[in-house]
Amino acid sequence: MIRFEHVGLRYGIGPEVLSDISFTLEPGSFHFLSGPSGAGKTSLMRLMYLGRRPTRGLITMFDQNVNALKREQLSSIRQRIGVVFQDFRLLPHLSAFDNVALPLRIQGKPEKEIRNNVHELLEWAGLGEHMDSLPDTMSGGQQQRIAIARAVITRPRLLLADEPTGNLDDDIGLRLMNLFDQLNRMGTTILIATHNQQLMDKFNHERLILDNGHIQTEESKNWIRRKIEGVF
Amino acid sequence: MGFFGEDKTLGITRQKRRYDLPLNRSAGANFLTLLIALMTFLALLALSASFALSAMTERWSAGLENRVTIEIPAETKNGTLLSREEVHALTNRVNSFLENHPTVKTTHILTDNEIGELVKPWLGEDMLLDKIPLPGLISMEIQDKEETTLDALQRKIQGFAPHARIDSHETWLKDLLRFTGALQFASALLTIVIGLITATAIAGAVRARLAVHHEEVQLLHLMGASDNYISRQFQRHSRILAFEGSVIGAAAGMLALLAIGWSAGEMEINLLPNFHLSHIQIATLALLPFIAALIATFTARKTVFHTLARMP
Repeated sequence: MIRFEHVGLRYGIGPEVLSDISFTLEPGSFHFLSGPSGAGKTSLMRLMYLGRRPTRGLITMFDQNVNALKREQLSSIRQRIGVVFQDFRLLPHLSAFDNVALPLRIQGKPEKEIRNNVHELLEWAGLGEHMDSLPDTMSGGQQQRIAIARAVITRPRLLLADEPTGNLDDDIGLRLMNLFDQLNRMGTTILIATHNQQLMDKFNHERLILDNGHIQTEESKNWIRRKIEGVF
Repeated sequence: MGFFGEDKTLGITRQKRRYDLPLNRSAGANFLTLLIALMTFLALLALSASFALSAMTERWSAGLENRVTIEIPAETKNGTLLSREEVHALTNRVNSFLENHPTVKTTHILTDNEIGELVKPWLGEDMLLDKIPLPGLISMEIQDKEETTLDALQRKIQGFAPHARIDSHETWLKDLLRFTGALQFASALLTIVIGLITATAIAGAVRARLAVHHEEVQLLHLMGASDNYISRQFQRHSRILAFEGSVIGAAAGMLALLAIGWSAGEMEINLLPNFHLSHIQIATLALLPFIAALIATFTARKTVFHTLARMP
């Protein structure tokens, strides 16, 4: 279970980019995170993948109070989280295979298991021919699929994805959403940050709507949704 | 089992382990290798100098332990030169006395040729022994080298050979040992300083690479890599660089030692012992690359942990 209680975040001495954020993600749940540009989605994701510590409030992940954990204890929690970054963040000197294999190697999995899993996942993602290719030689869509494969290869307990289908055509985007669904059915908690209204409508999962650093209440969600859709 | 739970064998084996961080592609790696090679070269020379000094000290000390020399000068106090026969007669008389003295274990009268060998370093190969007034010299081994024993012995000898002198070699040996000790200390200090410079250079290189690859290091962290996992990459890279550089430096140093040994042999410096290293000393020098690799590994680990501790 992931729980945020009155969490705030500010960078340096600037204003709070997230204020009084409180929500709970039940194990095995599937949520979309939406909101206008600059609302704080990326900052919220950063807190969730433990890229930053909150300025205030309490974050509980997998029944552990993250604020109280020491640096060296965070790695075991991070290993349970898969992240798809908006800018992919692939390692340019590693092949597609090695990029996807990286989380498994970090977890110390045997090389045979790594080989089997990575081959199978890359084949499934339509990148079987590009296993030895470097990311820079691949298209944006292919890079995005590598980033997604890298995030799901460990079957994480929590998957965070920032605009995961942004560069993909509809067909591949749909296949990847089905993969997320499949992982979700296997027990992975999923949170996808997206602007894609069609996607959110097609997959009718719960939505967290963020605006101006606050999670919106039910009453204001419809108003914000229309704002995102450009009604105003 | 595959990712989707099916059992699959997919052929290609990927045995070759890569760096997660592109450390082996850094342009600074060659510079560090060269620096470590030079440092190892210097360390090897400094250690060899220390070994040579140690051998010299040992030879001098061992050779003179419980040994004293009695000199019967060829010239009296008032400046009269004794003939060679007079010197020999006096020397034989002193020797007979010593042979019967209880504190004396052995005696040996040095022949003119032996005395010639001793003065050769100062007077050269082609000196004419017949033309030089040589003293009588008796080398003897005694039970103990106490000052009171030597004083008593000298007084008795001077009863019938007033100009005879006992030289226990203590004075010059002490000075010489103090001097070689200081040189050995300087060599050891130099070796330590070289080690510290090497460690500092490695720490600087590791810090620079951590700064250059900050994004990648952060990404590894976010994927759950521990500090230890990240550190191992830097340790391995530093260890390989240090070992390579150190092997090159040690090989160059060994060649330099051979050249020094050869040229010292050519010079035939009779005062100094032959420059050669024992098997243990060669083995110690051969350990330098491993020591450098150890220093590099330890330094890289400390540096990485210290730097990563500032990350979230």
